[in-house]
Amino acid sequence: MSVGSSDGPLAAVRRPFEGPNTMGNSPAFWLGFAVAVVALAALPVLFGLYAAEVGAVFLAYALLGMSLAFIWGYCGILSFGQVAFFGVAGYAFGIVAINAATLTGLTLALLAAIAVSTAFAAALGYFMFYGGVRDVYVTILTLVVALVLYTFMGQTAGGEWAIGDARLGGFNGMSGVPDLAVGIGSTGVEIGLLGHYYVTLGALVATYLGLRALVNSQFGYAMVATREDEDRTAMFGYDTTFIKLVVFTIGGAIAGLGGVLFTTQNNYVDPSVFGITAAALPVVWASVGGRTSLIGTVGAALAIQFVDYRLALSGSEWALVLIGSLLMFVVLVMPEGVAPRLHEYIVEYREDADPSPAPQEPPAATEEVGD
Amino acid sequence: MTGTGLLNFGFEFVEIFAFIVLATVGLAVIFGMMGIINLAHGEFILVGAYATTFTFAAGLPLPLAMLSGVVLTAVYGLVLERLIIRHLYGRLLDSMVVTWGISLVMIQLTRIAFGNTAPGIGIPFGQLPVVDGPVYYLVLAVVAVGVLGGLYALFMWTDFGVRARATMQDESTARSMGVDTDRMYMSTFAIGSGLAGLAGALYAPVLTVTPEYGTGFLIEAFVAVVVGGASVLVGTVLASGLLGTVNAAVTNVAGTFMGQVAMLIAAIIAIRLMPDGITGLLADWRENRGESQ
Amino acid sequence: MFVTERSLTRRSVLAAGSAGALAATAGCVGEGAILGMQDGGSNPTAAVLEDRSGTFALTGTAKYRTTKLAIEEINRDGGILGEELEVFAPDPQSDNMRYQDLARHAIYQEDADVLWAGYSSATREAIRPLINEHDQLYFYTTQYEGGVCDKTVFPLGATARQQLGAVVPHMIEEYGNEIYTVAADYNFGQLSGEWVKLIAEEHGAEVVGEEYIPLDESQFGSTINNIQSAEPDFVMSMLVGQDHSAFYEQRLASGLTDVPIGTSTNMAQEREHLRIDPPALEDVYAGVNYMEELPTDRNEAFVERYYERWDDAEYINQEAQNNYFSVYLYKEAVERAGTFDQAAVIEALESGLEVEAPEGDVSLDPTTHHMNHNMRIAHADENHEITFDEPRTIEPVFLEEVGCDLTSETERTQYEPDALSEGA
Repeated sequence: MSVGSSDGPLAAVRRPFEGPNTMGNSPAFWLGFAVAVVALAALPVLFGLYAAEVGAVFLAYALLGMSLAFIWGYCGILSFGQVAFFGVAGYAFGIVAINAATLTGLTLALLAAIAVSTAFAAALGYFMFYGGVRDVYVTILTLVVALVLYTFMGQTAGGEWAIGDARLGGFNGMSGVPDLAVGIGSTGVEIGLLGHYYVTLGALVATYLGLRALVNSQFGYAMVATREDEDRTAMFGYDTTFIKLVVFTIGGAIAGLGGVLFTTQNNYVDPSVFGITAAALPVVWASVGGRTSLIGTVGAALAIQFVDYRLALSGSEWALVLIGSLLMFVVLVMPEGVAPRLHEYIVEYREDADPSPAPQEPPAATEEVGD
Repeated sequence: MTGTGLLNFGFEFVEIFAFIVLATVGLAVIFGMMGIINLAHGEFILVGAYATTFTFAAGLPLPLAMLSGVVLTAVYGLVLERLIIRHLYGRLLDSMVVTWGISLVMIQLTRIAFGNTAPGIGIPFGQLPVVDGPVYYLVLAVVAVGVLGGLYALFMWTDFGVRARATMQDESTARSMGVDTDRMYMSTFAIGSGLAGLAGALYAPVLTVTPEYGTGFLIEAFVAVVVGGASVLVGTVLASGLLGTVNAAVTNVAGTFMGQVAMLIAAIIAIRLMPDGITGLLADWRENRGESQ
Repeated sequence: MFVTERSLTRRSVLAAGSAGALAATAGCVGEGAILGMQDGGSNPTAAVLEDRSGTFALTGTAKYRTTKLAIEEINRDGGILGEELEVFAPDPQSDNMRYQDLARHAIYQEDADVLWAGYSSATREAIRPLINEHDQLYFYTTQYEGGVCDKTVFPLGATARQQLGAVVPHMIEEYGNEIYTVAADYNFGQLSGEWVKLIAEEHGAEVVGEEYIPLDESQFGSTINNIQSAEPDFVMSMLVGQDHSAFYEQRLASGLTDVPIGTSTNMAQEREHLRIDPPALEDVYAGVNYMEELPTDRNEAFVERYYERWDDAEYINQEAQNNYFSVYLYKEAVERAGTFDQAAVIEALESGLEVEAPEGDVSLDPTTHHMNHNMRIAHADENHEITFDEPRTIEPVFLEEVGCDLTSETERTQYEPDALSEGA
């Protein structure tokens, strides 16, 4: 089934976001994408502030998930410690914001938090990739970093663990983190509850489009080549170590952005963001949604967290069992994840609709991706 | 340092060394032989601890309860290997992801099935005379050394060991030589699981058994495997020795937490200097020496 | 030093200048919105968020059950102001993220009139931003480090100052002046350690050593070594949680039982004296406002009612008792206010209320929102049999000393012991 031609008036706008490295290059995809964004934007209008408050948390998680899909799916770096950047940014924002709760201060806090998580990712990435640490060792090292942060932040309860007015707060976490605000001097906006939802949604959409443009650029090709065969890519003259470092750093920045939005939504951050369960979640979302599909990972993050939330409301203890089983099931049955599998079916279906029929295979997947 | 200070340091070292060795060796066997990082390692340890605790509470004498912990964990590992793990050979990252899923499920299932507490087991054997500390810690150290020795004997001297090493070195050649590699993997995984179960069983009297029991072993085990590198025995011994020394020395001066921190810093430096672990470095060194001669 | 609410709060939506469009949107997005999801029950609702699984299930389960029991008793006797109290009580599973979700749900969707939630201070701090944002009436009943001074929060458990103020002087009198402190390495433990030092100073005693143990640590070999070489007259233990209960077993194994232990955390909360085989807790003295073993008629009747209602129940911990009497305290406040309106109920609570708790009569201190508790020393013998000494009323004076007066000022703060020396 061909929906429109690729020469529509919007084709030029779409071009930078399309290419062989992303799924969903048809007008139908973009139509669906627009509908999804509008639906998400309408959520608070339909369901009230409550939905905005809960939804903003999920959207911040989606950013975290996307940061992993980007580095794992497109460059083959499996980090089990994306939450480290997420949490570090949250704490960094809290430290600056509590000490300088003015419009200028809060704006600086936002920038500082993302700068800190980016620098942290760059430092860790430099350490690992230029030290020759590879594959599983990267995975374990990133996990250990998250767990060490968990242990470390947990023992910062004493009064000596304060930066200015900001108490790290140990196991109890850092509370009283102000809301997000942007401005200089007395001109600017403090972003309230509803605003926060839209800011998070905007950040998610912008990041998504930005990453799509990036992975379809020259650099994106080099990334994917590095994932496919690092040695060969290096032989062609690419500095694969540098590519990995850049990708890992961008991933850290995105996770940090998510962390800031998460922390400002809750006005609170505690060491459990570094914990082993939290660390597992991005891996679950990316594996289930499909790590090579940014939108699949976002969809999986939203869907899984929503189900988890409903289960929590009902008081069920089975959420983690369900999530863990889903992870095992997907990796065993469709290792590439739900979205790429879905994409395959759609492509097949379109080919079937063409005059030259290919042997048909009925869609076996009953899993569906929320968007 | 006074005489007793030295003695205390020695005891501390023995305690930590034994802990790292026992926590690591199961993970190291599976990683070294099969190239799989089992992220559910902590929960295999958990199975050993729960089996020990509950059989002991049911009236079995402690050594038998521990043995049942080991056996049950090995059987458990065997079943998981057949059902899930064997589909993941050669898929390194996927195997980590799936075993992490197993870990999440197991912790939560344990919580649902047994609640958050398990019956306690008192520490056997009483108190040491000169150094303050239970005799049991020395027993743990002896067992740790025994396990290392046993593994050495198993892999170097038995027929099984020869075939296992052959499989590890070159699977297709081994298979063409008539080694049932599928079976080798299965048994290796069961042995690794059993060793994890042993750690769980041995520490059940010392550490409080809760559903998160396994996570307490994770950092040490992962760090030691990464620092040690792919060679199971040498890597485990050297990594445990290095990390144990740093940890014990700093703990003795600045307390448990700083000891832990110092150990992790040492580990990070070690990984930076030796990305393939201590054994990787040794291999390089040997190669270089071979070339220069 | 203390932390105060900063100049910018969520309520002050617009700082200056632009954002007219956002304001317009905000106008049409009410709390109910177009497709209202509110349950719309007209009865007053109590949200009871207590852990029945996970790390804090050991204490949370009983807290949930005593709250339920009190609400059921009240509803059976005609409710409050003639209305039955409805209960919203999912299990937060000892997970602070879930607490945030559930508290949010309770506030928005259940329109909760009153909230009981959480065991650990971390949980309280995780949901306090939400509580503050929505001016939610909140009872926090765990014995805790103290210092919370917050307009809508009522921390009704005994504070560290109250518990340690009972047990430390008693231990100094019985055993001597040299104290070794072992405490959990987080906020509660650290602050409790500070209190021990302060109280010791007041009584001319000295802390000869202190150690803060990570929450997940259960190997106490080096700690026990250090205690033995410091030779204190007694140990103060503020160890917390199941990993730490291994301390007592290792204490027995190392023959440290000849050094008595004072505690503010053990026995009354996680019933270590029943979970661990005797005589590991021999000569442990706990400063408590309640333990199930309390031999008064009123308490025995309460214990009987409890086990009649929950026949598989295991133990009524101190916090569970606090939950129980706080439901009655709430009832009295609503009746005095004549309405369920939260601001009015808070005002009524601040008018000075008394309630007949199983521990004895207790009264609420209007200015600090804390309780005047009947503190006792509970002693465990070699068979872990518990005996009590005479109760003493200990007032939550600390907050008054640092200047917390919620009847005249709306604060949302947590003070720490060093605020005393700074004179606030």
